[in-house]
Amino acid sequence: MWWEKKPQSEFPKPGPTIAARPQIAKVEKPMPETIRRESMATTASSVQAVIGRSIILKGELSANEDLLIEGQFEGAVNLQDHCLTVGTNGKVKAEINARQVVILGSVNGNVSAREKIEVRRSGNVIGDLTAASVSIEEGAYFKGSIDILREGKGEEPRIVAAASAFDNE
Amino acid sequence: MSPIRTEGSRNKTRIPSAAPPSSPALEWLWKYLSDVRHPHFLDCGAVSPSTVRVLVKRRAKIYVADVISLLQRGDPAVWKTEGKKLVFNEEEFLRRLPRIPLASLTVICCWHLLDLIPRESRTHLAGSLFGLLEPGGVFFCILREPYLAAGVDTHWWFENHNTLGMGGAGQRNFPYPAVTNREVENLIAGASAKTFLTRSGRREVLILKGK
Repeated sequence: MWWEKKPQSEFPKPGPTIAARPQIAKVEKPMPETIRRESMATTASSVQAVIGRSIILKGELSANEDLLIEGQFEGAVNLQDHCLTVGTNGKVKAEINARQVVILGSVNGNVSAREKIEVRRSGNVIGDLTAASVSIEEGAYFKGSIDILREGKGEEPRIVAAASAFDNE
Repeated sequence: MSPIRTEGSRNKTRIPSAAPPSSPALEWLWKYLSDVRHPHFLDCGAVSPSTVRVLVKRRAKIYVADVISLLQRGDPAVWKTEGKKLVFNEEEFLRRLPRIPLASLTVICCWHLLDLIPRESRTHLAGSLFGLLEPGGVFFCILREPYLAAGVDTHWWFENHNTLGMGGAGQRNFPYPAVTNREVENLIAGASAKTFLTRSGRREVLILKGK
């Protein structure tokens, strides 16, 4: 009958072929956050160690590299020439001493930085801040004192009249 | 025109305005402090980036303790209930301040603190805070005029060295009668007060501790 299907040949006829899509390799497990951050930091030519979200540490911590704390830490942190970042999940109850400190999480303790302390919007700080420069974002919580390190603080301070101190405003 | 700037970074709904006029009290204050190299300030309000910037530029050490918010929101930590009456818990209030050596502060910015506590507590609290001031130190406050009924929920900061910033809805009524000029004069024995009237229904008051 005319409507009867013609038996298809088992083998395809030779002709133009469509190239098969290249298979994308499946990633079985995403890279852990801690490793990813470190490798990113490495490519930016500075290594940042990370205390992850689930880590709870007590004691004295000193390091020769930048550090990000996303977990909980209690004790003392000493990163003389490096930067400490307390991440949004970080909870630190410690005396902190570093070159630079950025706070997005919670810090209870005195913070001293040779260069700068930044308390970001989500930051919550109870303690005394001492640094060459301090910035606190709108919305941050802070209770304590702020003291700015001046060059040659031990020497007789220069006499600066209030009026001239505000000349640049 | 109000001498107080009503826009500010703290207030999300900014009210655009022309260049704000300066605060007479601040102008006086900076002149008074012109020979103080490293003044120590206590800010009794919430930390303000703008205030920190202004004071750091003035080479000040800054103490911050947001005790005003405790009063504004009726925090049970500083209000005791005695029968049906709310009683101000001064001891607890003072405990909320950071550790400050006695007679070490140059200026206390207590903003509208005195308008937030009952009349009977004002003298004692002011006396306690005065103990933190060094001789010649200044107690800076903003007091409402009696006709200004609302403004408990406002907050204040230094917008720049001669302008005050003000934010908050300013709609909640003050629970206590306004502080009179006579009360200010008698607040601290031996202190002298300077009052600057403004057109915004507020007085800027500087109380100087005797040397």
